[in-house]
Amino acid sequence: MSGLASGLDWLTGLHGYLAVAASLFVLGAVAVISRKNAIGVLLGVELMLNAAGLNFVIFSKYRTAAIDGQIVALFIIFIAAAEAAVALAIILRFYRLKHSMDASEANLLRD
Amino acid sequence: MTPELISSLKQFAPEGVIISGLVFLFIMDAILPSSRESRLPLFVVLFSCILGALVTIGVIPTEASSLFSGVIQSDGVTTFFRLLFFFSCAGGTLLAYETKVLDRDSLSEFSLLILCVTFGMCLMASATNVLMLYIGIETVSIISFVMAGLKRDDARSNEASLKYLIFGAVASAIMIYGFSLIYGVTGSLNYGDIAKALIEGGGEPKWAILLSMVMVYVGLAYKISAFPLHFWTPDVYEGAPTPVTAFFSIAPKAAGFGAAIRFFLCVLSTPGEAGVWTPMALGHGAWTQAIAVLSVLTMLVGNLSAIGQKNVKRILAYSSVAHVGYLLMGFVSANAFGVTAVLFYLVAYCLMNLGAFWVVGLVADRKKSEDLEAFKGVGWEDPFLGVTMAIFLFSLTGIPMFSGFVGKFLLFSNVVQTPGFLWLAVIGVLNSVVSLFYYANILKAMWLDKPDTVVEAPVSSVHRIALAVLAIPTMVLGLYFEPILKVTQSLVATFR
Repeated sequence: MSGLASGLDWLTGLHGYLAVAASLFVLGAVAVISRKNAIGVLLGVELMLNAAGLNFVIFSKYRTAAIDGQIVALFIIFIAAAEAAVALAIILRFYRLKHSMDASEANLLRD
Repeated sequence: MTPELISSLKQFAPEGVIISGLVFLFIMDAILPSSRESRLPLFVVLFSCILGALVTIGVIPTEASSLFSGVIQSDGVTTFFRLLFFFSCAGGTLLAYETKVLDRDSLSEFSLLILCVTFGMCLMASATNVLMLYIGIETVSIISFVMAGLKRDDARSNEASLKYLIFGAVASAIMIYGFSLIYGVTGSLNYGDIAKALIEGGGEPKWAILLSMVMVYVGLAYKISAFPLHFWTPDVYEGAPTPVTAFFSIAPKAAGFGAAIRFFLCVLSTPGEAGVWTPMALGHGAWTQAIAVLSVLTMLVGNLSAIGQKNVKRILAYSSVAHVGYLLMGFVSANAFGVTAVLFYLVAYCLMNLGAFWVVGLVADRKKSEDLEAFKGVGWEDPFLGVTMAIFLFSLTGIPMFSGFVGKFLLFSNVVQTPGFLWLAVIGVLNSVVSLFYYANILKAMWLDKPDTVVEAPVSSVHRIALAVLAIPTMVLGLYFEPILKVTQSLVATFR
């Protein structure tokens, strides 16, 4: 038991938080690739954005001890909100026209 | 108000004009609802662009200066891009002036959005801070999603905006994650401090820097539609209303190049003597080698996919991808001449591509279709459209005597002068030959094929004047290019 705990020692502090952010990013990317529902894709993007925001906060705490990283995280939240608002409007319009949320139904424009 | 803030605001005046125009449009829309039915908002945009351009000329900086504590930089390159953006914004607005593809009541929305995008592009092209660059890119992207879907009840327009949205959101999320890694490695957000920390760190840890730069490239490549993030381009250009497409195909791309120039030269290079930079090693070689390979892939993908397309907007979309490939060639030398070549090509590209899309917009208004079929015999129906389209397409091909040739000549000679990149110039020339094939296809339809139905619809004088304003410089710049080249050179000289 103690062997396991010491084996995971590197996960405390900076590296642990970075691992959380990286896995958030990967989970978001997987959602973007695998989801067919346009809202699902959008949620994946939100996860990726928040992973980046988390990274900024972590680095600002552990690496630079400056406030600028946390400000960037705030800006990421604002921009993600603006993007979500526009995205939901576009997806709503898509639903009205196609009666489906399936992004693979967007097949009018192709080679 | 500190003196630094006041001098910053003075240099920021052109953007201030655009913001004032935006606020004015908002207020006018609220207190004068009847303006929605008129073309008044378009005139407000035109007026803001002209005023913005005049103010820009009034505050041309003689040397590079950092504004707002180093968040953006004001120098000759900033001036160049501001003028280019104001010009293309005015062009897109004029094209929307009498178009039939947009409803009257969506014109006021169009005006607001295009002005807002113009402001975002100015931020993109002058940002020297990672956060500012991200805000600029997102301002442009988020508004662009809406503009692509401006024809609300048209399924194709909506699909274009949905595709633009999904790819754009993913690309910018990847890019900001890359920025967070850069911040972690260097502990700074300003380009200058990042470059300093990268040199002091000796390029360690290698994998983190390489990964972050690949992620940043994904975001920039999406904005300029370079390989491998080019695949949204044909769909979005085909589905979006033509005035919007014409604007998209020049302005946000130019803004992406403005951001790329600053990022590649200020972050990833160490300045040597005036106008020369040493590219930093990234992975196994300098980043210029990676850009050379990506440039080849971009032009190959663009040119080869354009062959066999039936929709003219799609052909021009793939051709614009190919032109991004040519433009990327300007970076391999990492010197002031390369930057000058990129900027000159952007001027030529702006004129000829806006013109080509303009003709497509007029033909589509007349025939209700953008397929090659619809272009049959247009040259005989309206020789003015046929001749101007021929000028634009010859220039896009890079045939001598047209501005596109001079631009390509500068880019290719820049590559030839850089040791070890001769192969890139050879591939570039071969690609230009391939592009002749699909451009000639459009001209063949316009002049050699007989029309199925003759549609009598005279082109208004506004459009004729605008097309002449685009076509004449396209020809004149092919022979008498020195003044523009000199101005561009002197503007680039202030770039640090």
